[in-house]
Order: sequence, then C-alpha cells, then structure tokens
Amino acid sequence: MTELVPTLAWVVPALPCFAALLVLMARTPRQADRISAACAPVVAAAALALAGIALGRGGAAPLRGTWYLVDGASGVFVAVIAVVGCASALVSREYLRHAGRSWMRAARSRVWYYAALYAFWAALLAVPIVGNLGLTWLLVEATTATSALLVAFSGRRDALEAGWKYLVLTTLGLSVALMGIVVLAIAQAGSGHDGIHALDWHALERDAARLPHEATLVAFVLILGGMATKIGWAPVHNWLPDAHSEAPAPVSALLSAALLPTVLLVAWRVKATLDVAVGGGTAGALFIAFGLASIIVAVPFLWRSLPWKRLLAYSSLEHMGVLALGIGIGHPLAIAGVVLHVAGHALAKSLGFYAAVRLVRLDPAAAEHAATGVAARSPTTALAMGVSLVALAGLPPSPLFVSELLIVLGAVAAGQTAVAVVAVVALALGFLGLLHALLESVLSEPGKPRRRTPSPRSERPTAVLTGVLGGGLLALCAAAALLPGSDLVAALARGAL
Amino acid sequence: MTGALVIAILVLGVGVIAVRRRSVAIALVAAQSLALGVGALQLAEGRSGDYLVAAFVLVAKAIVLPALLLLLIRRTPERGPVAAAAGPLVRLAGGCGLVLAAIALVPPLGLGDARPERASVALLLVGIAIVVARRPAFFQLLGLIVAENGLSLLAVSVPGGLSYVIELGALFDLVLVVSVAAAFAQRIHLELGTGDTELLRGLRD
Repeated sequence: MTELVPTLAWVVPALPCFAALLVLMARTPRQADRISAACAPVVAAAALALAGIALGRGGAAPLRGTWYLVDGASGVFVAVIAVVGCASALVSREYLRHAGRSWMRAARSRVWYYAALYAFWAALLAVPIVGNLGLTWLLVEATTATSALLVAFSGRRDALEAGWKYLVLTTLGLSVALMGIVVLAIAQAGSGHDGIHALDWHALERDAARLPHEATLVAFVLILGGMATKIGWAPVHNWLPDAHSEAPAPVSALLSAALLPTVLLVAWRVKATLDVAVGGGTAGALFIAFGLASIIVAVPFLWRSLPWKRLLAYSSLEHMGVLALGIGIGHPLAIAGVVLHVAGHALAKSLGFYAAVRLVRLDPAAAEHAATGVAARSPTTALAMGVSLVALAGLPPSPLFVSELLIVLGAVAAGQTAVAVVAVVALALGFLGLLHALLESVLSEPGKPRRRTPSPRSERPTAVLTGVLGGGLLALCAAAALLPGSDLVAALARGAL
Repeated sequence: MTGALVIAILVLGVGVIAVRRRSVAIALVAAQSLALGVGALQLAEGRSGDYLVAAFVLVAKAIVLPALLLLLIRRTPERGPVAAAAGPLVRLAGGCGLVLAAIALVPPLGLGDARPERASVALLLVGIAIVVARRPAFFQLLGLIVAENGLSLLAVSVPGGLSYVIELGALFDLVLVVSVAAAFAQRIHLELGTGDTELLRGLRD
C-alpha cells in the first residue's frame, strides 16, 4: 500500500481544491449544496486512505518525497481533519438553509461559503503531509486568509470584529514565526545548507546537532511564540473566543477541532527537530508553560454563564493547553495521551458545535446568551450537547478522561510532579465548570414559555450525528488501551521524522 | 545592501506610524517595498538565478500591493480624519523608541552583519506598533505590510537568499491576506460609515 503514498500525498490536498472550483461553477445555492454533499465524502475517503496507510505502518520510518513527509503523526492529524472537514461540509447545508443575512450577495453567498470552506480544508489537509517548514508556514498562513472570510460570513458587526481580530492577530503572530524560520535558514546557511530543502523537517533534524545553540534558541522561541497566536495558547489567545463564537458553527468546528491542533503539530515538529540544538529541557519547559497558562486562564471562563459556542471556545483554550502539556512532558505515556486527546477532542468539540446549529434555530437568543432548558425543548439537541460536554469535561468513559490521565501519569513518570499537581487541580476545576454548564444549560427548566416542539423528522440529522460521533468517542476509549507502549507512540516520543 | 538603503527602509516604515493621509502612507510603503527590491537586486550579483527571481518578486510586491491599497482608498472615502488615541509626534516618538530598543536589545541572529538584523526586527516591532496605535483598519493593514517588509529585509540578507519558492509563496500569501483584509476594511466601512476599528468593540466577556 505504501506505493500509493506519493500519489495520495498530492491527491489529498488537490481534491478539496478541485471541489472548491466545482462549487464555484454552481448556478444555484441548491446546486452548490449538492456538489458539496458529493465531494465531501470523496475527499474524506482519500484522506482516510492516506491516514490508514500511515497509521498501519506504526512506528516505521516516515515515508519521504521531495515535498512530502508521511509519518504516524501525519496519519493521526489527516484522519482528524478528514472526519471533521467532511462532517462540517455536510452540516453546512443545514446551517446555510437558516443562516439569514450574509456578508456576500445573497445569490452567491452559499457558493462562496463552500469555496472558502473547501480551500480552508485543502490547506489544513496539506499541513501534516508537507515535509518542509517553510512550505508548512505558507499553508498555515493560507488557512488564515480563507478562514477569516468564513468567520465573518454573517456580516454582522460582531462577526466583522471577530474576523478582523483573527486576521490581524494571527497574521502578526505568523510574521513573528516566519522571522524565526528565517533565523533558522540563516543558521542552516552558516553550516553550508541553503535553498528550500535546508528547511525540510528531516534536514533540520539531521543538522540540528551542528546548528549554533544561541541562534537556534532565538529561532525556536520566535517560531513557538508566533505559532502560539494561531494555536490560541494563553496569553495570546484573544482572537479565539471571538472567532469561535461568531463563525458559522460548522466553521467553528473546523477551527477548533482541526485548525488549532494542526498548527500545534507544526510546533510539535519544530520541537522534535530542534530539541538537540535548543536543549530538550528548554523546549519542553516552554510547551509546559504555555500549557499550564492556557488551562489556568480557561478555567474561570468555564464557570461563567456564557453563550454555548463561547463556552466551547474557552474549552478549546483549555484543551490546547492539555496538548501542549503532554508534548512538553514528552514521556511516552504523555505522548499516548496527546494522540488520544487530539482525536477525542476533535469528535467531542465538533459534536458540540454541530449541536449549536440546531440550538440557535430552536432558541435564537442562545447565540448571545447562555442557553437554558434545552432538554425540555429538544431532547435530541440536549443529548448532543450533553455528550459533547461530558466528553470535553473528561467524565469516564470519555477518551479525554483516559488521555488526561495518561498525560498526568506521564508527568509523574518524567519527574514533573509539581506540573502534574497543578494540572490536576486546574483540570478538576475545569471539569466542575463544564458540569455546572451542563446542569445550567441543558438540564435546567426553560426560562421562557416552551415553543412548539420540533418534529422528530427535523431532529433526525442531529440524532444521527450524535450517534456517529458518540460511537466514535466510545471506540476511541476502547482503542486507548492499545496506545501506551505501541510502536507509533514510541516513534512519536522519540521525535523521529 | 548598503547602510543608507537599510536606514531608508527603516525610516520609511517608521513614517507610516505618524502620517495622517492614507495616500501618503501608501507612498511610504510603496517606496519602502521598492527600496527593498532594489537592495535585493544589488545583492543578486554572484548569487543563484533563484535569488534573482526572489528579488524580482520583491519589486513586483512594490507595484501590486500599492495598487490594491489605492483601489481600497478609492472605495472607502473617509469624511474626515479618524481621531487618534495619541498625536503624530507621540506616535513617532514611540516608533523611534522601538527602533532604538531593537538596536540595543536584538541578539546576533547569525548573519554577521548587525544592520539588517536589527533593522528587520525593528520593522517587525514597528509593524506591530502600527496595528496597536492606529485605529483605522486601513492603517492596521499597512502595519501588516511593514512587518512583512521587515521579514523580507532579513530574508534577502540570508547568504544565498531564501528559496524563490518561499518568496513566491510568501508574496502569494501576502497578496491573499491583503486582499481579504481589504475586503474586511471595505465591509467595515460599509457597516460603520468609517474605517475606525475602535467602533468594533462589542465582544467582551
């Protein structure tokens, strides 16, 4: 099967680009819906085939070409982006049917929405496959341009503010990261390697021991600090709650469940390649600092009565912190936790955002205020929100319970007991905050008189999504037992590229 | 690249933080981008053909981006100047302070020539300062370009230069981001009747 990899490495990002062009040719909004519904499963199938091949090789050496690198991490992230991207494209139809006003002309707004969504998806799918740091940066920057338009899609004043803030802050952050990449290129040129391939992941890993410590440290700090803005780590997370809450819900799902972890993969690869030159302790400590800061900053907001999507946005801040912590600790147990957390968070968070499509339709005030009494209004929507919140809180049998446990155990095994204690306390507070939100939003009495009960037929898509994504969460929990000690985790913990 | 050219690139960037008129700011950014392109062409002798392509990319940037920006100001006429939190002299003093801080604090980045290293970090900081200090969306967009020019200054100074693939990709990304930002600026102007982003402050927790 590995002989398919060179083809799939091109086909996987090319397919959504092709889909974007096809959608642009649609003459009516309904035609755009149909094209998207036909293209999304094809893109996802190709991406999952690539992910399957990568994961099937376990901890074997990565497959490399001139422009691509496919390893176990590529497999995990491509699978996540494929699933969330496909679900977002399919759920978008339901969102767009009731979206109301848009930034763009009414007749073409749906076409432009899908075109931007597929372009965004294409850039996201390419990031874990590209084998070069410079090209990866270009793709991450491209995700900003395409997704900023989607964030402000409604054209409302708040959406414009969120989109503008996202565009400006993340572009500045990525400029800082690019400066780090240029400093790294200077260091590589100093040791006799120049041109585009001096920034290949494997070239950086190969040459790391010869790179000057001080310049590489400066480069690493600039890259990590710049990428932190895009990942949404505290204290440079200001855009995150606004963009996630104002974007169309299917786009919020892609931002939270796919974009943030994918950029985090870039930071992880930078750490893996430059560990030797920077000093493993320093690189890990920076990740741990960002991780703890993000979890601690998120917790007070998880206790507040926030609109549903805003609450999920702060939960993203917390979970990106958990991932940073796991990568920073670097122990194989923590890395197993990171792999599981990426997948579990993606399923739980996207289910939460998809439930928001239905929630806002049932109760438009829920877009601006904390929802109340959802179970009394729509048991299916309440079930979707409940499954999402319980999983995100880390209540067993959520895979996020197992992943957080693995990360904490990894911290203890790595001798980082103080970090483990702080993380456990903060995560416990976050857990209680999300359970509080579950009681207040989902299970409480409705604040207003009950509106007309939705028909069972209109509830069916939400029920199907809850079944599929909830089943996926349970399957992940079962698969968690296989991860610690696996070849895949051992290779990722070694930082092999 | 000569010291005078590096200083000119730096001064033109700092000017953007102080000027009031949008057309003057565009002229400054265009001149800065052009100076950068000319500087890159000066360094092209003895380097690879790839580097020459990268230098021409920078010259193209000096033409494409100002054209886009001029189109934007034609589409978003302002009735009067947007009130600023600080006067032009205060902003200018702040910009100069950042440049001095960069000169004093930037560690060696490995080029062996401190001038482009310090100037590029200073321009990145000035770009960030423009975004923070200027309220109009248009000037915040210029801040992004000034920061990007700082990066280009460092990139052209890399021995052998950065690959033209990266330079072309970065230009494509920059044009994409500037086009999207221009669309935002136009929409903000349509929604508020002005490009003043201070009026976009509805999202708070």
